[in-house]
Amino acid sequence: MMVKGSGKYLPVVPVLVAYGALLGYGLMVPGKWQLVSQLAFYCTLGQAFNLFMGMTGYVDFGYVAFMGVGTYGMAVSIYNLTDKGLGGWVIVIGFALAALFSVLLSLAVGAVALRLRGAYFAIATIGVNEGFRFLIEGARIWNGSEGMIFTRHMKQALGKPGAMAMGTFWADVMMFAVAILAAVLTLVYMRNKVGYALTALREDEDAAKVMGINVTKYKIIAFITSAALAGLLGATAWALKLQYVYPTDVFEIHYTVEAIIIVLLGGAGTLMGPIVGGLIYGIAKYFLAIVLPGFQLLIFAPIIIAIIVLFPEGTVGILKKKLTGTALQRYVI
Amino acid sequence: MPLLRCLNVTKRFGGLVAVDDMTFDVHKGEMLAIVGPNGAGKTTMFNLINGVFPADEGPIWFDGVDVTRFPAFKRAHLGLGRTFQIPRPFASATVQENIAIGGMFGAAGKEISVDEAMEMADQYIQLIGLKDHRDKPAGGLTPIEKKLVEIARALAMKPKLLLMDEAMAGMNPKDIDEMVAFIKQIRETENIAIVAMVEHIMRAVAGLAERVIVMHQGALLVDEPTREALTDPRVIEVYLGRPTEEMNA
Amino acid sequence: MLFEQLSGNLIQGLVLGMVYGMATMGLSLIFGVLQVVNVGHGAFIMVGAFTALTMFQAMGVPPVLAIPMAFIIGMSLGMLFYYGAVKPLVSPSGIGIRKLSARGKGVIAGSVVGVILLMWLTSGFFKVNIAIYLFLGIVFLYAIALYIYGGRRQDKAAELATLLVTFSVGVILEEVVKQLFTSEARGYNWDIGKIDLGITVLPYTKLLAAMGSLAIAVILYLWFNKTRAGMAMRSVVEDDVGARVCGVNVDWQYALSFSLGIGLTVTSGVLLTMFIPVGINPYMGGPYTLKAFVIAVLGGLASPYGAFFGGVVFGLLENGSYTLFANIPGLEPFAMTRFFSFVMLLVILLIRPTGLLKAK
Repeated sequence: MMVKGSGKYLPVVPVLVAYGALLGYGLMVPGKWQLVSQLAFYCTLGQAFNLFMGMTGYVDFGYVAFMGVGTYGMAVSIYNLTDKGLGGWVIVIGFALAALFSVLLSLAVGAVALRLRGAYFAIATIGVNEGFRFLIEGARIWNGSEGMIFTRHMKQALGKPGAMAMGTFWADVMMFAVAILAAVLTLVYMRNKVGYALTALREDEDAAKVMGINVTKYKIIAFITSAALAGLLGATAWALKLQYVYPTDVFEIHYTVEAIIIVLLGGAGTLMGPIVGGLIYGIAKYFLAIVLPGFQLLIFAPIIIAIIVLFPEGTVGILKKKLTGTALQRYVI
Repeated sequence: MPLLRCLNVTKRFGGLVAVDDMTFDVHKGEMLAIVGPNGAGKTTMFNLINGVFPADEGPIWFDGVDVTRFPAFKRAHLGLGRTFQIPRPFASATVQENIAIGGMFGAAGKEISVDEAMEMADQYIQLIGLKDHRDKPAGGLTPIEKKLVEIARALAMKPKLLLMDEAMAGMNPKDIDEMVAFIKQIRETENIAIVAMVEHIMRAVAGLAERVIVMHQGALLVDEPTREALTDPRVIEVYLGRPTEEMNA
Repeated sequence: MLFEQLSGNLIQGLVLGMVYGMATMGLSLIFGVLQVVNVGHGAFIMVGAFTALTMFQAMGVPPVLAIPMAFIIGMSLGMLFYYGAVKPLVSPSGIGIRKLSARGKGVIAGSVVGVILLMWLTSGFFKVNIAIYLFLGIVFLYAIALYIYGGRRQDKAAELATLLVTFSVGVILEEVVKQLFTSEARGYNWDIGKIDLGITVLPYTKLLAAMGSLAIAVILYLWFNKTRAGMAMRSVVEDDVGARVCGVNVDWQYALSFSLGIGLTVTSGVLLTMFIPVGINPYMGGPYTLKAFVIAVLGGLASPYGAFFGGVVFGLLENGSYTLFANIPGLEPFAMTRFFSFVMLLVILLIRPTGLLKAK
């Protein structure tokens, strides 16, 4: 397929349609906002995680740590800066801090882990979330295990109705913004040298090096981008929405598990995959939670195995194959 | 200064000396064959030249630069291309994308945009005659097609020196003839030096290379024009005199 | 004062370290033979802990006698896990499960029936709980699909795939155990006296666990070096192709060593219960996975004996660092020790990545 000029970015259309439809559904149909918010969270999580795992073929088992420090970034800003009379600006500073914290953590982890290949990379990352949680608790950073509750500060900064609206509505809208940002970045990467370098190193790292690809550089780019997006997601989906943060909650490994499930369900390394995977997982979890609370992982863990062994391309991967040679081919990647 | 100069290059793996004190030059535009039985250290020599792993001893100069400690990708930027014995195209990428990746990141990579690389790839697809497969994932091609894609990918890097690892291994005579004709053609059109690695001095090599280096047990045995190498008693001994060598390999 | 505290804790660390070492041997064995990192490692330790707990509480069997039971459970789980999920990804003969030997097919078919029967017999859940039905249904369908279509060998992605698969198996074990036992933390108290060393007090149970670990390591060593079956397995660690040429059935060796590795891991869970009076819960495995990685990397990753010594070193370091953290005001020593083991992993990987990568 010849992808040139503006046509290169056509696949953004189905992405925008999907998120627009989801947002529209939440706004139009009363009582469904909670579901929409949950679905948007999973799509965003998948989209951000896919940017690293899907595009490089490396699994980061400690991924949730980036969301955790992002949550703390927002929390620290609101908790400490509200008194300074900055008003709503604490939110902006919070996002900046969220991105900064997650990027710094990704640099620290990446400095060690990204030198390593395959299984060793996974081993190096597996303790990051736990390690960071225990650092916060052990050294009593940011109130240690007591966490930070900043409902009061939010009310002070945004006014009482403002803080309410932030938690129940605007945080979710911002989550959509993070999702679209993640999708657009994915597409931009895919269509530029970064994407081709990542494809090459995912398929054959040694051959990629011989082709003149500085594999470490491109892995770092993907790792940092993915981490920063996770930080932003944590800042909005957890800090702004819940208005408290506990180390035990935000470094919980099962969010990494959910990210893996979503990416694999949809199709690793595809643009639409995380949306499809996020919707399937989110809807299934929503209904399972009604029928069988607490059973999602028991049901989804064997499904991961089944996908990996039987359908490694995921839903969108299969769809892509089916669409090859048709007019829709250029929209679905 | 020749294009490539290896001086006393040595590589050990534990107790095994895989490449032992190799010294040789490759000149601009030259076609050289490195010959030797399986296990003679040819692939290790290739890996040292293009930086898959570093040499233990001896400088390697390429195009006037000491590249001994350069990582593989920097050497590629200087103009070192490489194909593998078992072709390793990027399986999920299309034929066009595979070749374009060579253009994007190779010697001229910095100045080439993605779109330009794609257009350039089309020229090479024309050259290797795989027009019908342009948009197919490279993983689904036949071994010979993969080999061609890999050569095109290496050429798209605009190398000054192309290292070809067993370009003709496992091919039938007809395919070998086509491959020889193809390599001759790219030498003329692209004006690059080629170092081809082969297990035996075949008719094909004789028709291609001007000079032959024979490696034996990691060391340089013979470095002379092809015509003389073909009748050199030392070379004959390597292949016929000690049959156990090949069995051990 | 500090010195006494430190030396006392180091003795405790030595004893615990031997058990840590034993708990990592399975991980190293599996990596050595199959080049697969079992990310679900800790979950198998958890299974062992629950085996000991159940046998002690329900049947009054002392944990020492639960060891053979745990080993058998581990071997069976390992076989099931290998043929059901790992083999389609790493099959050394390069084929999917379609061309599986009759033995492999028998194992799969038997396991599916066995799992269902086991669930039927062991609890009333089968009648009440829809989720278990759903879970078994998925597993059953998966087994059938695998049987019919065969697995896909994914050369490039095999490593990623095995990481995700072993991880998922760990999650399944945790969730199944949670359904059977709930997620509350439990423990049991097996008191057979203790020895007072002056600087520290050691219960005999802990000493027994350490001695048991050492004995298992020695038995494994003898088995590898003195028996035919052990040497066949070792030959696969040394050289896959060479072993095949010498007439070793590499496929079967993969299966055997995988299940032996899991068997050892589950067994170590029994021994570990003697150190955690009230910490037995479905999610207890996570920290042990992390610790096992540190230990395995310390010991060279592919060597079970290296792992044993790595465990001893780790036990000493862990307890030593705990003592130091406890003496620094403002720190929570328990959390800091956990943080320390994570830092240690990164540091080891940072210092010796090339050496470690070369280790086969």
